[in-house]
Amino acid sequence: MTCKEAIAKLAEYLDGELTSVVQKQLEAHLKTCPPCRAYLATYRKTKELAAKVNRVDMPEDLKARLRALLIDRIRARPAGG
Amino acid sequence: MQGDEADLSLLERLRAGDANALEALMGQYSARVYRLAYGITRAAGDAEEVVQDVFLTVCRKSESFEGRAALGSWIYRITTNAALNKRRGKRQEVETALEEQLPSFKADGHREGDRAYVLADWSQNPERDLLSGETREVLQGAIDRLPEHYRAVLVLRDVEELSNEEVAEVTGESVPSVKSRLHRARMALREQLTRHLGPRA
Repeated sequence: MTCKEAIAKLAEYLDGELTSVVQKQLEAHLKTCPPCRAYLATYRKTKELAAKVNRVDMPEDLKARLRALLIDRIRARPAGG
Repeated sequence: MQGDEADLSLLERLRAGDANALEALMGQYSARVYRLAYGITRAAGDAEEVVQDVFLTVCRKSESFEGRAALGSWIYRITTNAALNKRRGKRQEVETALEEQLPSFKADGHREGDRAYVLADWSQNPERDLLSGETREVLQGAIDRLPEHYRAVLVLRDVEELSNEEVAEVTGESVPSVKSRLHRARMALREQLTRHLGPRA
């Protein structure tokens, strides 16, 4: 397996989706290839960091405005209609 | 994801004007809708408008929800579409070609670039350093520059933790396309971080 082929499989590797044959080939490649080991470590860390910075909280005042907007909307409609 | 009885009864109560049903719906979904809307639009004002549009749509269209998919999937789909629409026309303001941010390879399949660069491993740096200051800005900038469909997949998979199949259902893409976008998005972000944190050229 080349580095190019190994890197192409990293997402499926992290998801545990590779067949056992391919997984063994990938792991054998990683064992002998320090750049691909570094790639995997930083790829995995990137995934975690991006998830963390994307975890933004909804502003409290928006929640209150949304509730006020919707409550009028649902009550304006005839029940069961 | 299949809709269940609880989803259907929640929407039925919403249609009858039940304020508790609205509270339950908001409690379950508003934070997730905001996160996804922000993740795609990358602007608080746009995310706020998307959240309002999404919940108005859910209230208005609750009759047409048939339970073929889970309520969560349906709401994620409405949110993704609304957020992508909001981005229309703003595209390419900051987005750059993804190709330039992917690893390049020599003819023999080895990585291109000098040895110190391809060996750079910053994954053990303290997380408080990685998530603050300039590094955080580099990561935020790299996320801003991703094409919006890639950001949608990245947020749905890595933040909302949906499966590839669920993301495909929400975005209307094929599973291979979801997998490819996710992998390319992560690689592009990794490249930007490594250019910033790795050895200086």
